[in-house]
Amino acid sequence: MTATAQTELAGVFDFSPEHDELRATVRRFLADRSPEAEVRRLMDTDAGYHPAVWRQLAHLGLTGLLVPERHGGAGSGCVELQIVCEEMGRALLCAPFLSSAVLATSALLHAGDEAARARYLPGLADGSVIGTLAVTEESGSWRAEDVATRAEADGSGGYTLTGQKLFVLDAAVASLLLVLARTERGPSLFAVAPGAPGLAREPMATLDATRKQGRITLDATPATLVGSDGGAAAGLAAALDVAAAALAAEQAGGARRVLEMAVDYAKVREQFGRPIGSYQAIKHKCADMLLEVESATSAAYAAGWAVDARTDEVGVLASLAKAYCSEAYYHCAAENIQVHGGIGFTWEHPAHLYFKRATSTRILLGSPTYHRELLARRLGI
Amino acid sequence: MGRTGLTGLAGLTAPPAESRLAAPADLPDRSALADRSGLAEAAFRTELRAFLGEHHPGPTPRERSVRLAFLRAWQGTLTDLGWVAPAWPRRWGGMGLPAALQAVYHREMALGRAPVPPTNAVGIVGPALLRDGTDAQRERYLRPMLRADELWCQGFSEPEAGSDLAALRTRAVLDGEAQDGVYRVTGRKIWSTNAPVAHRMLLLARTGTPESRSRGITCLVVDMSAPGVRVRPLRDMTGATVFAEVSLDDVVVPAADRIGAHDGGWRCARVTLGHERSTSLTAAALRYQRVVGDLVELARRRGATGDPAVRQELARAVTGARLLELNGARVLGRVLGGRDPGPVSSVNRLQHAEFEQWLHELAVRLLGADGLLDAADPRLGTDGRWVRGFLRTRGSTIGAGTSEMQRNTIAEKVLGLPADREET
Repeated sequence: MTATAQTELAGVFDFSPEHDELRATVRRFLADRSPEAEVRRLMDTDAGYHPAVWRQLAHLGLTGLLVPERHGGAGSGCVELQIVCEEMGRALLCAPFLSSAVLATSALLHAGDEAARARYLPGLADGSVIGTLAVTEESGSWRAEDVATRAEADGSGGYTLTGQKLFVLDAAVASLLLVLARTERGPSLFAVAPGAPGLAREPMATLDATRKQGRITLDATPATLVGSDGGAAAGLAAALDVAAAALAAEQAGGARRVLEMAVDYAKVREQFGRPIGSYQAIKHKCADMLLEVESATSAAYAAGWAVDARTDEVGVLASLAKAYCSEAYYHCAAENIQVHGGIGFTWEHPAHLYFKRATSTRILLGSPTYHRELLARRLGI
Repeated sequence: MGRTGLTGLAGLTAPPAESRLAAPADLPDRSALADRSGLAEAAFRTELRAFLGEHHPGPTPRERSVRLAFLRAWQGTLTDLGWVAPAWPRRWGGMGLPAALQAVYHREMALGRAPVPPTNAVGIVGPALLRDGTDAQRERYLRPMLRADELWCQGFSEPEAGSDLAALRTRAVLDGEAQDGVYRVTGRKIWSTNAPVAHRMLLLARTGTPESRSRGITCLVVDMSAPGVRVRPLRDMTGATVFAEVSLDDVVVPAADRIGAHDGGWRCARVTLGHERSTSLTAAALRYQRVVGDLVELARRRGATGDPAVRQELARAVTGARLLELNGARVLGRVLGGRDPGPVSSVNRLQHAEFEQWLHELAVRLLGADGLLDAADPRLGTDGRWVRGFLRTRGSTIGAGTSEMQRNTIAEKVLGLPADREET
């Protein structure tokens, strides 16, 4: 890191009154529209989100946060996006936000294709289109070079795709599928319409029901190239860094919420005539959770700040944040169950909902092990 | 908090090198020292870099016999040229810097690899005097303390009062009036860092009833050459004798050397000054990043960077050091924005201690069979620093409050969990 960047670091976390207001607005909205009962209701639906709430998110300008104003969005930065994601993570919001407003939007922004941006971004921004990004396949890999799905030119300027995509977020409800596939020239990005021939989508039964995933089968399915033929790798990596920063913030928000739950319970639950929070075994768990929550928050926002400031550390900090926040959230969610004891093991208690979200987000966009390896590489180790 | 100070002289492991002692500086009139508190950050940085460029004494020697003299000379240079105690008021020899410039100060000192001060004067003892001392005491003690002409130690912990500091039993009996009488002090203190070389001790003694806990403790300045003071150096597990057991047998301390009120000394154990801690932790975080860089070099030299398991560990090391920096920056951001430091400030010290311990464990694992060697074995060469640090950092999670006590404090003071003890 350069000396200049260090000097600026203190300003990374200096949130403005506008930031505070954004956070307060989103928190109020989610308290009203995404209470636990609603989360549980949506978990049991196939779509996994409430269209009216989605429209309201769009009305608040949240679905178009990253979209430039000329394409109908708010033109905000990654830090604003993270504030929203942190709150959504707290509330376990069930909505295709990460898939559409983050992954699909970022993929388009970084694909180097102004025509595709003009065509797709306005719909993503106003929420009328739900997008998703289909990268992973049988191997679960997020690396462009591992893609096996094939793309063949159809001789008239278009392409057809053949292959299978797994673990695609909100695959069932997306009306714009951005699919990574391999042409003769290498990994390339394609747009696939929902009704295209040879396209089949089926839901996957996932551990975490608060975020839907599905399988996409492509059999000579017509598709439109986004960006250059064979040139998707760099743009995809950049988009995934933004998504990692956003997801890390979601994880930090979830981790802070489970810490609050654990602490609140430890203050009132009595055993042997004392609140269990007066025992050091519980205190030390909670203190360690706070250390992780605070560090996760710092790591996530540092990554978002690097994205907005376009420093050369975006990749390093995004991988650092994704690896650290994943483990911090998972550990805090597990400890929250432990602090709650028997009640924390029940279906009725929300502790398992956070534990399952922590588990799914840990793997999503690449595991902590994957991101630590990426971090080492990006540092030239 | 503030129990013992195991970190004192030990500092970070530094590569050996010949020392260039700073030339004895002239003693300028204190009032003539430049007031840098109003400088813009860039101008301040430029001045500080120029100062370091001209006066940096070179790497700190490892040899204990020359190390202390080297560090005292450096401390004299800093003091005489007005580059010491960034958070202290100018009236008492400090720089009187706003938080933003304190941060620049610590960062530049760390980046410039300036030697780490030889005493805890700026950290604990000085702030206690600044807050609770009289002007006469400040006049008498602070400047020699800053210059390291007079070295100080702390007499806090006792054999039977470690984490439970309020259980201390060293008695101080007031003979005469509270203003002009004397205290007669008898008892035993332990883990006093620098006691073998110290001129003075900041002592906590029992003046109330045995049951009075924190309400019956008085803070005194003890002259280490006074009759009845005996120092028995303790050899720590690294082989060094940095701290000592100090026995006091009817030692006479003038009441004029009491800091604060009779029975009101407990607060001396927990004083910190302004934002000194949050700004200086930033410097420590930068030093760790350098240490992690050296660790990666070690792995390279050992041909281990191709090992996927080692790569995971190195990534964790980088992450740990960066988190210290980022958490520090977050505190600083809040402070500079006029807000309280927030909960993140409370976890920083725990995180530092645990991290440096883990980091040296990793380094010794990377040494493989060479980790069996004594730090001084020639086969290790400069890598002896890792073995030394490995042993030294066992104390990181004990000194100045064990990690367990820090977790208690975090749980109770920040998270609001109920206390199960009296003072916390």
